[in-house]
Formats: sequence, structure tokens, C-alpha cells
Amino acid sequence: MPQAQTRLIVKTAVLTLLIAGGLSAAAGLVVWRAGWYNIGATSPHLGIVYKGLEQAMRYSVQHQARKVPVPALGQAEVVRGGAVYRDNCAQCHGGPGVAPDIHGLSMQPAPGPLVDAPMRWQSRELYWITRHGVKMSGMPAWEFHLSDADTWAVVAFINRMPAMTVRDYKTLTAMPPAQDQAQAHDQAQAQGEAR
Amino acid sequence: MKAPRILAATMLAASACLLAGCGGTKPPPGVVGDPQLGKLALTQYACQSCHKIPGVVGSDTFVGRPLEGLAKRPFIAGNLLNNQPNLMHWIRDPQAIDPTTAMPNVGVSEKDARNISAYLLTLD
Repeated sequence: MPQAQTRLIVKTAVLTLLIAGGLSAAAGLVVWRAGWYNIGATSPHLGIVYKGLEQAMRYSVQHQARKVPVPALGQAEVVRGGAVYRDNCAQCHGGPGVAPDIHGLSMQPAPGPLVDAPMRWQSRELYWITRHGVKMSGMPAWEFHLSDADTWAVVAFINRMPAMTVRDYKTLTAMPPAQDQAQAHDQAQAQGEAR
Repeated sequence: MKAPRILAATMLAASACLLAGCGGTKPPPGVVGDPQLGKLALTQYACQSCHKIPGVVGSDTFVGRPLEGLAKRPFIAGNLLNNQPNLMHWIRDPQAIDPTTAMPNVGVSEKDARNISAYLLTLD
């Protein structure tokens, strides 16, 4: 008798799980195939999707970056990193008192500020994210576009950001005078050509 | 095939209600603009990347102040009276009010600032 009862319980449990699993899979398939999930960047993610993806990224970066050796980073790297950040990162991430360009404002997920990045990430993880990028987030990989020294320099710069005032940031990311003029000249020329 | 479709629709509807229900719906009297348009507009200026905003999906971020209960605060930006014109001014050009603030001017139009402030003033 108890044996028959156990068998019934197991059978019911297995069947329930199978049916529930099948129904969920079918529901998921319908939502996926019908295109009901709005892929547009003006419609927010469902909270659970956003949090799930964000946490998956966190776990992945922590795991992938676990063995990256970190070099000594000093003031020279911070200064060098300021120029790298200005040229490649500020467009999407902005800085203290400085907005991103419009491309960085209405992306989803929003690239967001990096002033709090050192509270969220280790140096090796910032390096890994910069070097390899993040799939489906808009964060590009810089491995083939930035030297290793520049990548570490920008990590050094980001690590310093929480302690930067608006003025510190502007000083460290200022264009050198000569380059400033060259760029102004280029822009004037480009505008001339456009006309 | 019909049962899962209905189930999925119900689940979607339920989560939509949950999402919509998070933020307040009615701004205080005297506030102009459309809170629901403002809720959309603020995501297009990435407000949620620095501020935690009730009803808006985003990361747990503490770069700017969390905006929960904004309608109840007597002051904004430290010493500015909390009313819609001041809030709109702060949203549009924070550094004109406080040159040392880390909050940047993200180029919000007057219309969007009106709607965004209308949404934020529903948060009590």
C-alpha cells in the first residue's frame, strides 16, 4: 500500500513538472515568435529582464576577469588615461559635470556614468570590460583599437574619477592647445566642405 | 496553442500593470505637463543612469540622488525651493544654478523638462 502511494506521488509530481515546463516553454515560444517583446529602445525592459541581464553580465565579468594581472598604475597613467577617456569614452559615458553626446543618452541599456565604476568593479574587471566589450549592450571591444598601455591608463583614470571635482575632470580631459587648434581647423575645414 | 497564448497575454498584462502602478499618476495641483510622457522622456536623457527613479527600470545607482518622494521635498539642489519652474530650470541647466555640481546639462528641451518635472512631482 505505502509503495503504491509513493508511486502515485512521484508520478503526479513528475507529470505536473512536465506539464508546467511544457506550458512555460510554449508560452515563451509564443511571446518570442509573435514579436510581443518590444525591442525598441524607447520602451523599457521588464524589470526582471533588465535585472537578470545585468546580473548575468556581472557574474560573467567577475569570472572572465579573475586571472587578469594588474600592473602598477600611477599618476602618469591617470594623466594619459584622461586623454584616452576624452577621445573614446566620454562620448557615451560623460564625466563629472559633463554630459555624454546624444548617442550615449538614449541607448538601452544607458551606458551610464563611470564615476561610480570603481565602487562596482575591480581594476582587472574594468580592464577586461574595456578590452573585450559587452555583447548586446553597445559597449565595444577596444582590444584591437587601443594599446594595452592605453587600456590600463584609462582604468587608472576611471579609478581616480570618484575623487574628481568637475574642475579636476575638465583639467585632466582638456585638449592640449596645439591639438585644440588643429581640431578647430579640421572642423572649420569639414564645415567648409559640407557647404 | 490557445491556452498558452491567453496565459502569456495575462502575464504580460499583469506585469504591465505592475510597472505602470509603480509611479504615481497625478501630480499636485498647479503642475502642468504630461507625467506619462515625462516618464518616457526622462529615459531618453538617461536620467535613470544616475538617479534611482520609482517606476523606471534601471540599475541600482547612487551617482545622483534617488528621486523617490521628490514631491514631498521642500528643497531641491540643496537650497532651491521645490516647485515646477525651479525643477525645470535645474533639469535644463543645473550648472547655472550650481557651477560645481556633477550633474551635467543633457540638453533637455523646455517641453520635455515640463513633462519630466510633471512625472517627478507625482513621486510622493
